[in-house]
Amino acid sequence: MPGLIRKNKRSVVIIILFAFLFWLVTIQVKNGRFPFMERPVLAVAGFFERIIAAPFRFLESAGSRYIYLVRTERDNGRLKQELVLLQIENAAANELLTENERLRVLLEFKKQNPPTATAVQIIAKGNSPASSTITINKGSHDGIEKDMAVVAEDGVVGRVQAVLPNTAKVILITDPGSTLAVRVQRNREEGLLEGKLGLCALKYVSFYADIQEGDLLVTSGLDGLFPKGLPVATVVQVTKHEASAFQAVTARPIVSFSRLEEALVLKK
Amino acid sequence: MKPRYYLAIFLLIIPVQASLLSPLSLGGIGPDLALALLFVVGLLTGPREAALAGMALGLLQDVSAASLIGLTGFTRGFVGLGAGLLGRRMFDLTSPSTMLFLTSFSLAEGIFIAILLQLFYGSVPFWNLLFTRLVPQALYTGLLGYFLLQPFRNQKLVLALKRRTIHREL
Repeated sequence: MPGLIRKNKRSVVIIILFAFLFWLVTIQVKNGRFPFMERPVLAVAGFFERIIAAPFRFLESAGSRYIYLVRTERDNGRLKQELVLLQIENAAANELLTENERLRVLLEFKKQNPPTATAVQIIAKGNSPASSTITINKGSHDGIEKDMAVVAEDGVVGRVQAVLPNTAKVILITDPGSTLAVRVQRNREEGLLEGKLGLCALKYVSFYADIQEGDLLVTSGLDGLFPKGLPVATVVQVTKHEASAFQAVTARPIVSFSRLEEALVLKK
Repeated sequence: MKPRYYLAIFLLIIPVQASLLSPLSLGGIGPDLALALLFVVGLLTGPREAALAGMALGLLQDVSAASLIGLTGFTRGFVGLGAGLLGRRMFDLTSPSTMLFLTSFSLAEGIFIAILLQLFYGSVPFWNLLFTRLVPQALYTGLLGYFLLQPFRNQKLVLALKRRTIHREL
């Protein structure tokens, strides 16, 4: 046996490395992700991402600014940001309206202040097949912190996962490591939305809960990260198994991540 | 190839994939340049070197994506190993069958990841994922890999590279 191992030393090393990687994944699933290697690799990859993306962004902006009037372009950008903010406020207002109808008999309501936000550009999209992340062009120098909520004009994008001085990595709601407290807007059923690579799964929804295809899922605010009432996903499939106490609910994010160019980071 | 060259190439591939290839994506599905490159490495080197290269590439991708460290390293290691074994039996790298093989490797890796995620987290909508993401991405990657392999039309160059690798592996 030792002779066989000595003879196939390189193959044994590869088998050990495979086993080590599998073990590494299992302990992260059990105890949470490792953040210690993120900063150096993100710094290097982020540096190249900025350099590579810069000429393309420059050409894009030069073309659009000189071909289509400078002021129109600027105004358009500003109005888009304002529109995003207004849509967030509108979503929150709709949520408050339904809440108001339900709880009309109560007198005291806690006044919610709209969160302050920073507009960011998406400079890169995730390249790992096992995750869904994006890189934004602002970091700790602009007041971005870990776990801040990121939203777009349509709804929730994700949350800040790692921050560098000038860039930050955002984990999308479709990433397998993302969890978000949500509720069904129609009937207020609560659940936990987990990312499943391009789609999401609504977990811990009782077998008897009334969930239908097309139902809109909104943030419940219970996780303390996202404001209440932001649109997150639409239910696309509901499956009930007699043996399970919960329903299997699949949802599709409202935001189209492939077309996402700008977003807002909501400051705490 | 020396490890530092691999590291340099992989560190460049990550931002290129993240920045330049995102405009090529259709409906959120883009080609996987890193996988196509690993496939080429596997065909030109051997199973051991390609498996190690796959693990290194996957690990870098995991860390740069701030995701589960080791998951892509684990799956890409197998892709490298498979491509390396395939490379021993394949001498015409520009044949259209390579596109089919790369598509199969990409699909197999996607299914493997979905199975692992089901094992670790559960509730993976497998069929939905298969038809809306894994199959289109595999086809797209296969097409990209075919173009990446076009510089290797020169059979003499391929044979020289392979001879060197076989010699080293023995």
